[in-house]
Parts: sequence; C-alpha cells; structure tokens
Amino acid sequence: MKDLSVQNVSMVYELPKGGSVQALHDVSFDLEAGRLLTLLGPSGCGKTTLLNIVAGFLAPSGGTVELGGTPITGPGQERGMVFQQGALFEWQNVAQNVAFGPRMNRRKRSETKVLVNGLLNTVGLTGFGDKAIYELSGGMQQRVALARCLANEPEVILMDEPLGALDALTREKMQGLILKLWKETGKTIILVTHSVEEALFLGDKLFVMAPRPGRIEKAYELPFAEVGLTTDPRKLKASAEFIEKREELLSMIWGMEEQIMGHEGGMS
Amino acid sequence: MSEHVPAPVAGSPVEDAKPSRFGRRRGVQSRKTVTFGDASDVTTSKGWMLVSLGGLFLLWWWFTRGPEPILDEKTFPSPFATWDAFVDWWRDGYRRASAWEHASASLSRVLKGMLIGTIIGIPVGFAMGLSRVLRGIFDPIVELFRPVPPLALLPMFIMWFGIGEESKVNLLVWASVWVMIIASRAGVLGVSGSKVHAAYSLGANKWQILRYVILPNALPEVFTGLRVALGVSWGTLVAAELVGAEKGLGASIYIASRFFRMDIVLMNIVIIGVIGALMDLVMRLFESRLIPWRGKG
Repeated sequence: MKDLSVQNVSMVYELPKGGSVQALHDVSFDLEAGRLLTLLGPSGCGKTTLLNIVAGFLAPSGGTVELGGTPITGPGQERGMVFQQGALFEWQNVAQNVAFGPRMNRRKRSETKVLVNGLLNTVGLTGFGDKAIYELSGGMQQRVALARCLANEPEVILMDEPLGALDALTREKMQGLILKLWKETGKTIILVTHSVEEALFLGDKLFVMAPRPGRIEKAYELPFAEVGLTTDPRKLKASAEFIEKREELLSMIWGMEEQIMGHEGGMS
Repeated sequence: MSEHVPAPVAGSPVEDAKPSRFGRRRGVQSRKTVTFGDASDVTTSKGWMLVSLGGLFLLWWWFTRGPEPILDEKTFPSPFATWDAFVDWWRDGYRRASAWEHASASLSRVLKGMLIGTIIGIPVGFAMGLSRVLRGIFDPIVELFRPVPPLALLPMFIMWFGIGEESKVNLLVWASVWVMIIASRAGVLGVSGSKVHAAYSLGANKWQILRYVILPNALPEVFTGLRVALGVSWGTLVAAELVGAEKGLGASIYIASRFFRMDIVLMNIVIIGVIGALMDLVMRLFESRLIPWRGKG
C-alpha cells in the first residue's frame, strides 16, 4: 500500500479576459495508505481542483504530488475515480461497464467474468449484470460506478461528490456501502462532499477547505467512520459528540460563505 | 364529505393506458393537466398519419378531377393519370429501360455517394472534434463549401469527371459529406469530460478512448447525420442525373419534362419520395436496435 504525499501544491487559473484566480495556494499534507479523507468546503475552495490534481487530470502550477514516492504526472489506474453521475457508459450494460478496466488491460475474459460477478455481489447488484445503465436508479448507477472503479484494484479511490445527486434515504444507504467497501478493501479514499454530515460520518480524516485562495483551513481526525459500520448510523449522527462537531463545522462554513457574499457585495 | 373513491373496473381509463390510434392517451395519461408542451408524451399518431395521407390524396383529386377542377391535367396530372403512368412504367419501363433498372440506377448512385461521403465525412468530423489544428484547417473549408448547391457544381464536375457515373456519384458525395462531417464533429464534441476521465483512470490509452468511448458516444449524432444525408442525397438526385444519364428516376423526370409528360414526372417524384421515406424507416429501425440508449442518458 502506498502513501500519498501532497507538497506545496498551488493552482492558478488564468482568466481568458486577463487576471487570474488562485484556486489552490500552498497545500501540503500526507495521507497514509488506508485512510478515508473527506474534503469539505464552500464552492470555490478548490476541493475538486485538488482531487483532479491527485487524479492527474490537472497539473498543478506549483508543488508536487507523489503516490508511494512516484510523482503523479497524469491519470493512472492506481488512482480510481468515481464521479457524481454521467460517467458510466450508456452503450454498455452493467457487467460490461464493470469489466471496462480489465478489458482495457486485456485481462482474460474468464477471469474478468468471475471478478465482475464478485464485484456486483459486493455492491449489492447481484443479477443486474445484463441490465442497461438507463434502466437503473441513480443509487444503483453509483453502485456500478463503485464496482467499475474497484475492478482495477486501485491504490487510491477518488470520489467527486459521489452521492451528491441522490435522495436523502439512498444517500444514507450508500454512505454505509462506502464505509463497508473502505473497511473490506482497506483502500485509501479521498471523497469530496458538500454535506457536512457526510464529511463527518465518512471521514476518518477531514479537511475543511476555505476559498480565496483555496487552502486547507482546518484538519480533523474523526472517530465516526471507524465505528460507523458497527453502530446504528442514525444513533451515531444523533449523538452529542457528532452534533457538536457538525455545528462547529457548519458555523465555520457559514462564516466563509458570508465572507464571500460580503466580498462580492462590496465589489458590485 | 364522503371519501368514497370508486374502485377501478376492468377496461376503465386507469387500466387501459394504451394510446389510442388517434394519439390521445387514455387512462393514467389523461390525468395529466399539462399536455401542451409535454413533448416527451407526444408519440406519432398512426390514425392521424392516415388522415394526413388521405387528405393529401383528397386535395390532389379535388383540384384535378373534382366537380370543378381548377388544375389542368396537362400541367398537373390527377392521381388516376399518375397511377396509369405508374402501371405503364411498372409493366413496360420507360425509354428502353425497365422500372427496376431506373430505380436501381438511382438507388445505387445514392448509396455509393452516401457511402463515400460517410467514409470521408466521419474521419474528418472526428479529426475536427479532436484536434484544434485540424478544426482550424477544416472549419473554413466546411463552412465555405457547405452552402454551395450541387447543381452549381455540375458543369465543373462534368468537366473533371466526365459525363459518366463518376460525376454523378461525386455530386452525391458532395451532397452528403458536409452533413456527415458536421454530425460527426457534433458527436465527438458531445462526449462528457467525466466519461473520458473515467476511462483514462481505468487504464485506457488514447486509441482505446477513441474506440470505446468517443466512437460509441458519437453514434447517435452520426445516425442523425446519416438520416439527414440520405434525404439531401435523394434531393440532389435530379441534379446529379441531369446530364448524360439514360437510366434513373431523376433522369426520367428531366427527359419526361422535355416531352411535357407531367404524369411521368409526377409519378417519378412520388417514387423518389416513397423510396426516401422507406429508407428513413429502415434507418430508424436500425437506430432503435443499435442505439437503444438514445435519449435516455
């Protein structure tokens, strides 16, 4: 298992009309293998930019990102990606979507078939292999996306608001699934979310990010993900400790939002 | 107030939710209060298709053979005269060529033109969708040449390619290639960034991205292009067969018009329309088989 190291990463977007936006400023952290890191923050704080840099879709304007000592220069299959929605291939059925990675790697068909069936089992889609993507609900589509990502045995799984488009009940169920996969596979996960509750519940490490310039405002080590599978999630989320943390984070993010609003109000 | 709700009985509107032949959906659908603008609920009404076709024929008959015909049979033949022309054509052919020879000559020109136009158009459209440089190079060419009517090119094409098959097929290539380029380019540009990113993260290389993501993703647009190009090709047929063609539906129209045989002209127009419509029908069948995900993404 490989540790992830992000050193002095910054990202400046040049605007087409001149000027620039500092999307990330001097971000550094180390993430040991097997951690589940959640990134939380108001829009414009650079959390998706950070995720895309780790994924290799964006090259930072400064700083380095290394996985197990190897610099990241582009996308690679040791870093799997789960998007919010729309990243599944509609022209393939469920099983073919999950088999995409092994197929690109020219793995044996018989091996892949066994692998795919096992993964569909893991994400709770046994018997859905022949279904078309557009026949599935949003929650089931995200299960397919998780299975497809796992098929290549990535070291790190990057999730960009994976549950953002789901209804509240499905979302809670899927949070349980993500915890289960994390526990069972022991993979490193970085998950971007807008939901304070989700960031607290899933993250065993949490970064609150702030905008202008995008940076890590505060880092938390959290106990909830560790017990999230064995404790009733509803009770956990209703516990005094959870609520206290939730209110702390909410007021922090509210503060940032108000600053942004004030800033923009002042400009106009 | 009584809360009595009548139980649905067999054959009641709730159970029988099939659209009627005249397109008004009964049952559950009729509970919708918003119907105008709900395009997802609009299906082709077979009943109204028959009414439309029937009405067309009725008008045609009324103006040519009605109680007070206002069109002269010489300039606008009646349905009966056209039918007679069709029967003659079917039995004896026209100008020393059988009906099948005329139809197949035109059909093979259209198909050859489409095939070459597609073989050129798809790669060029893909290149324009994938590369800044190639889009820069091809964009002015496409935008300048696309509006040029094929008929305007006929004299030059005859000079370059002779009066044989080559100039005719090339004119039809011209008619279809621009449509195919634009459709293919739109198909490539329509691919979502997250699909491409996901594929790269799953270990796909550039070639595999093209083959397994961009190509299937562009298929719906390419198919729309094929259907449009088919229509444009049939529309260009008369121009293509204007000079030096013995056989063909378009050539027959031109020849018959010189002898003022408007019945034969009209008959060939109807044949072209019917063949074009049938081919579009076949394309739509292929489309629903090959691209079942269309519009459901």
